Amino acid sequence: MTIQRQYTLPHCSLILEGLSTDATDPLAPLTVLMNAECRLPGATDAILSGGREFLDSLVVAVSRYGQQLLSGVHYPGVAASAPLVGLKPGAGSYHHLIVQQPPLGEPVSDVNAQPPLDVKLSTVQFYDLMEAVDQLLADTQTLPDLTAQFQAVSRRLVQPTEPIAKRAAPAALGAAALAAAGLALFFVPPPTFEPSRPESEATTPAETSQTPPATPPETAPAAETSNGATAENAPADDGDLARLENAPAITDPAAIALLQSDVTRRLQEAWANGPRPSGNLDYRMVVSENGDILGYKYETDLALAEVDNTPLPKLTFVPVAGAEPVQEPVAEFMTTFTPEGEVVVKPRETPTPAATGPTGELPTLAAKVTDGDRIRALNSTLYDDILAKLEPLSASEALRFRVRLTESGEVVGYEPINAAAGLLAAETPLPSLVTAPDSTLEQADFLVVFTEGGVLEVNPWDGWP
Amino acid sequence: MPVDSPTLSPSSLMLDTLPSPGLPSDECPRRARIQLDLLLLAIEALDLDGSEAMLVAARELALEGLIKGRVHLWLLRGTNPMRRYSQRRPLQLEEAKALVMVICTLSRRLTVLIRQLLIGYQQLSDKQLTLDHHFRLADYLSRFRSHFRARMNPRRAGVISYSTDDKLDDLAVELLQQLLLCSGVLGPQRLWSSLFDGEVA
Repeated sequence: MTIQRQYTLPHCSLILEGLSTDATDPLAPLTVLMNAECRLPGATDAILSGGREFLDSLVVAVSRYGQQLLSGVHYPGVAASAPLVGLKPGAGSYHHLIVQQPPLGEPVSDVNAQPPLDVKLSTVQFYDLMEAVDQLLADTQTLPDLTAQFQAVSRRLVQPTEPIAKRAAPAALGAAALAAAGLALFFVPPPTFEPSRPESEATTPAETSQTPPATPPETAPAAETSNGATAENAPADDGDLARLENAPAITDPAAIALLQSDVTRRLQEAWANGPRPSGNLDYRMVVSENGDILGYKYETDLALAEVDNTPLPKLTFVPVAGAEPVQEPVAEFMTTFTPEGEVVVKPRETPTPAATGPTGELPTLAAKVTDGDRIRALNSTLYDDILAKLEPLSASEALRFRVRLTESGEVVGYEPINAAAGLLAAETPLPSLVTAPDSTLEQADFLVVFTEGGVLEVNPWDGWP
Repeated sequence: MPVDSPTLSPSSLMLDTLPSPGLPSDECPRRARIQLDLLLLAIEALDLDGSEAMLVAARELALEGLIKGRVHLWLLRGTNPMRRYSQRRPLQLEEAKALVMVICTLSRRLTVLIRQLLIGYQQLSDKQLTLDHHFRLADYLSRFRSHFRARMNPRRAGVISYSTDDKLDDLAVELLQQLLLCSGVLGPQRLWSSLFDGEVA
């Protein structure tokens, strides 16, 4: 018995014709589909029809597309074979129903293939189509094996909302920037580490090299280790004194006495349990106004060898910026560690009277001799005067002085230019030549050099006129 | 006759037609929460008594156990992260099912109006006319816009993208189409499975 089922909606009517297995029962469900027919009045005049394959394809396409409209998530179609019925969004708010039309009765070939039918549906028309399909699906009296299969789209099938190129752009940009930075930095040389040493360090090997012959064999290792220690502590002991050379001295006797007792007490406390030396250890020590030991230096070889037995390395204040010269007032002490465990601290008498003598810095020249002949005459006078009194000097390097003369040839004063000149000024005839320190006459400066070979050179300070 | 086991309430039978989506947790994904609240917002814009109708529909569907009243409904809708007073609480799947049933029931009642509006929209856009020419549609759109702006947090990124009237109108029409698709016989199942598109493994 042929059964016809019709699902009618304003814009769609779906008509199914089929057979039921039980011919006697009028209420038996339609189980075998003969023909399905879909009319879409208002959208197309064509009648879409087909068998079970067409109906199945229609159901799947409508379900998927409906779900896509609801969720906005595009379901990637299986591209293996074009389904009989497909749906895709069109311009505006239209939808396109694409139906492949198989030629009736004949197998598909290139000759009789027809272009697929494209039906443009508005949303309401699509809804009616979907509703007709839904009613068919919900109808248990028609094709009970055809039921709704709703399945959410898997995460893996969903295409990302942004194209891969756009998503990869930030990462690519970052990698490119890193590569560019690496390339740029490739040409920058790596910083080389050069341990900076104070200039006076250079003098240390000369001093220590004198010690080995004098040290007894059994103390040699100790001397070596302490040599290593001094090299290590170079900025702490040796360099510090160099830094402290220009520091002003504390002159107040009361302050010096106070510092003396304070430092003695602290050294004594720190040394209470220390090992006793084999002999007197003498150190020169520079102490700041607030009692910090800023630096020390051994006076004897034994003192160098056993410096680690004294509390001096521990108590010495190690400045952060080692190269900076000290500007605060300091006092110098001689410290002696005796084998009996006593610490004797005595103020050190300044051995540099030259530094405080008449050689202080010369003031800027106020009235200059400008006459060239006069300068030449003064130059030769000075040369003769010095040469007359010159005795052999113990200097190992040239001594340079700036000597100032009045226009009448009297020596106003002199100023050592290099360090050796400052130390050995007393050996030169210059101090005895100063005759008119307060002269207000016109003056001229001369450069006087005592070379290490004993040669005297005198030239005008500003060059020959 | 004494009953040994409590009878199944009609609501649980109805909710059982919505299969579990197979998520790792019992909480609704973010997009589902946004979608449900926006659909309810569209219903409110369609129907002046929409918010009251939601409570009535929930009562008729025997869903009072899941939608316990006005405040509770507000809390459920507040799980939409776009909301101005967004709730931190999760939306359980059962609660989402109840909201789906309410949405589909109300949209079925409003089918005639929705169809009219969509047909009008189609005609206007075919003629390239502005949407103001359809009085009822313009009314719906303006109401939707004011509802949206009053309740959504304008600083949220998802809300900033709807900053202009045109974009909000597009959203409103899209929601109208979705409401229509929900109103069918299998509307609840379709809406339910669409909520988890791209979320399941």
